[in-house]
Amino acid sequence: MADQHKTPETNVHRHEAVQRKLALKEERKHHNVSFIMMILLTIVAFYAIWSDKISDSFAVLFILTLAVVQVFFQLYVWMHLNHKGHDFPIWGMATGILVAAVTVASLMGMIWTS
Amino acid sequence: MNAGERLTDANFPAHPEKATLEGKNKFLGFWLFLGGETVLFATLFGTYLGLRNMHLDGPTGEELFKLPLVFLATMLLLTSSLTSVYAVLSLKQNKVRSLQGWFLVTLLLGLGFLGLEIYEFNHYVHEGHTFTSSAFGSAFYTLVGFHGAHVAFGCLWITTLIFRNWNRGISLYNAPKYYLFALYWHFVDVVWVFIFTVVYLMGKVG
Repeated sequence: MADQHKTPETNVHRHEAVQRKLALKEERKHHNVSFIMMILLTIVAFYAIWSDKISDSFAVLFILTLAVVQVFFQLYVWMHLNHKGHDFPIWGMATGILVAAVTVASLMGMIWTS
Repeated sequence: MNAGERLTDANFPAHPEKATLEGKNKFLGFWLFLGGETVLFATLFGTYLGLRNMHLDGPTGEELFKLPLVFLATMLLLTSSLTSVYAVLSLKQNKVRSLQGWFLVTLLLGLGFLGLEIYEFNHYVHEGHTFTSSAFGSAFYTLVGFHGAHVAFGCLWITTLIFRNWNRGISLYNAPKYYLFALYWHFVDVVWVFIFTVVYLMGKVG
């Protein structure tokens, strides 16, 4: 009797453990890919400035875009914002980024016009 | 179950950092704190962007900044961000020794970054670029120095965390602590991405 109860339960446990292991393996792969992406983005940004082949105003816009993409990788892959149960953190960060953008714009504006 | 009890592979939850109410609160509170930190760094970035060309007779950023050094510092911090994410993967698999190992590598890379920054600042001071030399100097050292202070604080944090829990396994009590440190460390790297872009690379194109 005891054995009959035990077998399906351990099977469920084993099944869950295998699932979790596979999910972690997948996650590790995502982390590695995102690391390579970030290295590449960094190299491209440095090269864009270093080589001096791109016009300055375009280069600034270009490297700022690369920075935003790289930060997206950090937040969503490495800080797990893409996982379930991150609604409040996303709202918190979105609010922070919105206020941050307004702050940067207004501070720059105030200093330039004075 | 007592939250301080060492977890076994059999009772290990999928998200040990959020398995207790305290862990859930810390997780949410820490993300809101990071939202606030974003705004704090934005004030420093805004000020720097407004003042970066006001260097009086001191050297300009274009003359000062050495890109190879900045590139090396960037690679150190980026790699340390990866090793801390490996530590979190070890955390989820209940592998405490591997977690400690990855966090120790993170700590060493963070210290390497700090060393480069100290060398860099020392070099600038000898070139006549100091905190009081110009508005550019004040804004530069406030922004980059504040980030460096975050790295230094992170190094202190992970050192105490690793050694306090050296002989303890992963429990529901210390799992949130490890997890939050990793979040903090990624955030410090996020700020650095904008510093190398806005301060150093944009400084080179004037």
